[in-house]
Amino acid sequence: MAKHTGRGLAAIEYPSGMNQNGDPSQAWIKVKPDGRIDVFSGTSDIGNGAKTIQSQIVAESIGVPYDWVTFDNSNTDSSPVCTGTFASRATVIAGNAVLKAAEEVKTKLLEIASAEMEIGPQDLDIIDGEVQARGAPSLTMDVADVAAAATYGHGQLITGTGAELNAFAAITNSETGEVDSPPHAAISYAACAAEVEVDDETGIVRIVRMVQAYDVGKAINPTLVEGQIEGGAVMGLGLGVLEDSYPYYPSPDHRGSHFGSYFVPGMEDLPQIETIIIENPSATGPYGAKGIGEMANNSQPPAIAAAVHDAVGVWVTELPITPERVLRALDAKAAGGGQPRREGKHIVFDEELSVNSVASGISWTSDS
Amino acid sequence: MNITVNGDELEVRSPGLTSLLRVLRDELDVVGPKAGCEAGGCGACTVLVDGAPRRSCLTAVAAIDGAEVTTVEGLGAADDLSPVQQAFVHYYAAQCGFCTPGMVVAATHYLDSGGSDDRKEIQEALRGHVCRCTGYVKIIEAVAAARGGNFDLTTTAEGGYTTVMTGDAK
Ligand code: FES
Ligand code: FES
Repeated sequence: MAKHTGRGLAAIEYPSGMNQNGDPSQAWIKVKPDGRIDVFSGTSDIGNGAKTIQSQIVAESIGVPYDWVTFDNSNTDSSPVCTGTFASRATVIAGNAVLKAAEEVKTKLLEIASAEMEIGPQDLDIIDGEVQARGAPSLTMDVADVAAAATYGHGQLITGTGAELNAFAAITNSETGEVDSPPHAAISYAACAAEVEVDDETGIVRIVRMVQAYDVGKAINPTLVEGQIEGGAVMGLGLGVLEDSYPYYPSPDHRGSHFGSYFVPGMEDLPQIETIIIENPSATGPYGAKGIGEMANNSQPPAIAAAVHDAVGVWVTELPITPERVLRALDAKAAGGGQPRREGKHIVFDEELSVNSVASGISWTSDS
Repeated sequence: MNITVNGDELEVRSPGLTSLLRVLRDELDVVGPKAGCEAGGCGACTVLVDGAPRRSCLTAVAAIDGAEVTTVEGLGAADDLSPVQQAFVHYYAAQCGFCTPGMVVAATHYLDSGGSDDRKEIQEALRGHVCRCTGYVKIIEAVAAARGGNFDLTTTAEGGYTTVMTGDAK
């Protein structure tokens, strides 16, 4: 009886938003007479930083300081439609909507500034809240003065609208599954390497270290991205070894109904966590960004399963990898069965390795 | 019954077995402490009772008649954040924010009673406070750095990540 260590690796790819499934986001922006920017976007911020990210995108693309931007997503009457915060879409889909609206605002600000400064708009740019003539940086006009001129001199309200939609793609060839429009390019890639310690007497799997490498296209806010990756890693740890909403699926019995019986990862479960942010820009995300919200907890469970195999030589084919499942798999192995082998594309198990015969096995048989 | 909440002495009319959490939230409209599980398992409802951290969901109000209660609101104001609150902002230690009131109260008590910036000790001190979002890493960083406060809240702490950049857009 001993503790064994093992390492495992798993990789994943994931789209941003419901790629080709028709999920619109819309935004509109208005400029107050003092040059401050009001963004109306329906994206709820569930802690993923949607407000921060979209405000950053607006500030950057107009050319004003971040703290000039207010973001209102709280009123369903004044906010345009956003399908919501899900499917890793808040940065890419809703972010593109505010980006387009901000570009329109910038164009209109430059038109007013052009009339006031008597310089062609193509020769102007906005930098840090100030309109500047290209090549003659001493010729400037505050965005606040441009907005005031629009309001009190030109009788205009400077606004911009933007919308992003990857329309529903219809299947045109049922044989091949070909559809009538291409997917967008904001596809994220990631991998997790997990190091575990497995006690072959108790079956307890302890996660020692997890290294996550996530291709986010462009980290618009690197610390927020890291927080999302760290949070996803610990959720993935929970899915991998702790959290079981249907321990005897499909029977609903023995579900944990409180924190004493449903094991959410706690401080004490925290392994060493390392984050690698890869910036491999996409052609269609704002500033090259890709969404990683949902995939943040997807690569850890298979990496943990592979690490368990590396440690004690059994594949546990069902999550979470509880002590019971580890011990049963070890018993099956000791009885001479349970070693998987590769047949073409398929991993084949001669014996049922998991506790639960309903969810496992089926997708792993050689004729599937 | 009377309790002092964040310096205000208040009369409590709820029945004596009402939890302190429900008295605070429903009767006194002090909603910083969050109702996570109301069974002692998550820590989101943590407040200080006479200076010591207590799970307000498990505390019958009659048991603390006359006590001084400090909630997250009592630690600092929006324009005058306490050191721990500042650190949580600076380190992005909150995502959805549901665990934050309990974390901040518990961390404040830990540091005020001489707790060190050792990660393992912080983990031990905040054990039992569940966070579903952050993976705890930034919470521990914030608590380790919190003593003394004075963070520039217009900036964000650099994370511990490594960045790898590849070529052009595709
Ligand atoms: S609400 Fe009190 S511990 Fe969860
Ligand atoms: S920030 Fe969401 S629970 Fe901790």
